[in-house]
Amino acid sequence: MRRLLPRNYLFTILGIAVGVAGLVALGAMAERITRFIDGGDRFVLGQISVAGEGMGMGTGFTAGGLLRASRIEEISRVPGVAAVQAQVMLPLNPTTSQFLTLTQELIMGVDPAAPVANRQYRELPVREGRFLRAGDRGVAVVGIDFAASRKLRTGGRLELGGRPFEVVGVLDKTLTAPDRFAIVPLDDARELWLRRDPLLVQVFAGGAGAMRRADLNTGAAVAWADGVDPDALARRIQAEVPGLNVTIPGELSRLLRQSTAFFSALLFGIGVLGLVIGGLSLSNTVTAAVFERIRDFGIKRALGATDLQLLREILAEALVVSVSGGLIGVGLALAVGALVDARVLREGQQLFLFSARLLGFALVFSVVLGGLAAAYATLRIARLSPAEAIRRGA
Amino acid sequence: MVVRAIGLSKTFRGPDGRPVPVLDGVDVEVKPGEFVAVAGPSGSGKSTLLNLLGLLEPVDAGEIWIGDVCVSRLSRRAQCPVRGRSIGYVFQSFLLIAGLTALENVLLAARYVGRSRREALPAARALMERLGVAHRSGHYPAQLSGGEQQRVAYCRAVLNAPPLVLADEPTGNLDDGHARVILAELRGLCRDRGASVILVTHRADAAALADRTLRLRGGRLESEGGDGTT
Repeated sequence: MRRLLPRNYLFTILGIAVGVAGLVALGAMAERITRFIDGGDRFVLGQISVAGEGMGMGTGFTAGGLLRASRIEEISRVPGVAAVQAQVMLPLNPTTSQFLTLTQELIMGVDPAAPVANRQYRELPVREGRFLRAGDRGVAVVGIDFAASRKLRTGGRLELGGRPFEVVGVLDKTLTAPDRFAIVPLDDARELWLRRDPLLVQVFAGGAGAMRRADLNTGAAVAWADGVDPDALARRIQAEVPGLNVTIPGELSRLLRQSTAFFSALLFGIGVLGLVIGGLSLSNTVTAAVFERIRDFGIKRALGATDLQLLREILAEALVVSVSGGLIGVGLALAVGALVDARVLREGQQLFLFSARLLGFALVFSVVLGGLAAAYATLRIARLSPAEAIRRGA
Repeated sequence: MVVRAIGLSKTFRGPDGRPVPVLDGVDVEVKPGEFVAVAGPSGSGKSTLLNLLGLLEPVDAGEIWIGDVCVSRLSRRAQCPVRGRSIGYVFQSFLLIAGLTALENVLLAARYVGRSRREALPAARALMERLGVAHRSGHYPAQLSGGEQQRVAYCRAVLNAPPLVLADEPTGNLDDGHARVILAELRGLCRDRGASVILVTHRADAAALADRTLRLRGGRLESEGGDGTT
């Protein structure tokens, strides 16, 4: 290293490191948002979400009222439907806005005996423990951010809606909504719903409309048979089963994309900002470092160095400096990201996603830009006579 | 190898953009083994003459010949090996590279003429030994005294045994003791190796060592004296 680099390159490397760290940190935030939106999009495209007519809980992926068991039966008879999975989705904290479906913590009740309806998530990846089994009661499988924010492990205890649950599994990172889910057996979720909603209890006590527990569903996920067009099937369900709110997967995806257009624009801006800040910092640092050595170039040319020899030397130095600065910058960004994420994880959030493609891009970016900046500066200096270069650098 | 300059002229632009003539039709001829001093008041064009002869600056008019080659007409690229192989420079301000050790500074001269480090290393060490700076090989310029820096710079200038050595006030920043060492070395180059030396100096004792002295005034060659006289 000493042979490759003059001593005064330390601050150049640090300057590049700061630029690359900025680029990587901003890029990691953009990556995080992108993955989050893509994850949500994948989910809504993997199932037809159905709810009853009306406003209902407005929770989860489908806005709508109570979805009674009889309606679920009818849906399952529609040609092209492969499976229907009844669900109960409740906001963990009822006082929070229910419009933040993708960012709020949810209790999700599912029937483990029923086939999983989402084609994109046939089974949620379990990091430790196990997923729910048929006949389970009083147990929960929690998302990784949900677990981390409460320091939950398999075998730990958790209180949901005033009822104790044993954590039997923790999901792997999905970087989207399920990271903040507590998944419980469907009957447990129904009970939590009843506890939470006095009106429902009165309805049950009064025997209104011959309601049964099985009618307590906030919605259902519908799976389509192979070869069936999901959007066409969703329209067919809407036409054949009255009293439903049916979301068309393609339309919901478009709606989701529209509603997250702001975030898409934001992350595009973050990406551009990262490139500009990181790029300017890096190229400015390298160019300044080369110009600072203008006197040295004059001396070397006086000793017989050709433009090509100087360019080769500078590019080799720029390569070492850029790679070193890039690696330190990546390390710096990872350290800052880990510190910040450790702080926000307490609220069940993750701010940065340092993907391999981002880190690879940052390193290539720093090397290419460092090389270009060095070549530009060298060619500018090469125009000067050796005496002029020595004079300017004096 | 005879070094000849014919009708050398050079004009710079002043701060107000006006042309300032610095050299005006200077003719010089230096024979192999000859030690020539260049004297004159400040601003008379001494350093510019040396820069032109050393191909450190392009000429505005005139020609420079080294042996049978008109080097001033060569392309920028073709001038590089001439600078590296045929010309050695010793500057008043030493011009060592701060990020390199004394030995690395000396070896730099070999790098650009295609000599390998392994081949040049014994010669570099021997030179530094003779000049009394071998024990400072691993030190950086900032860690050396002025006299040591100039001796290292001298080693670099002569490592490739160039037939022409240009010294621009090499003793200007040195005490008398160190100045005598450098001047004796330059004198020895002419005597022992047959190199031509052109020395810009204000010192009378330095000029006295020269075979002859060129006196510049206002960019023109004013007079020429032999045996150190003007």
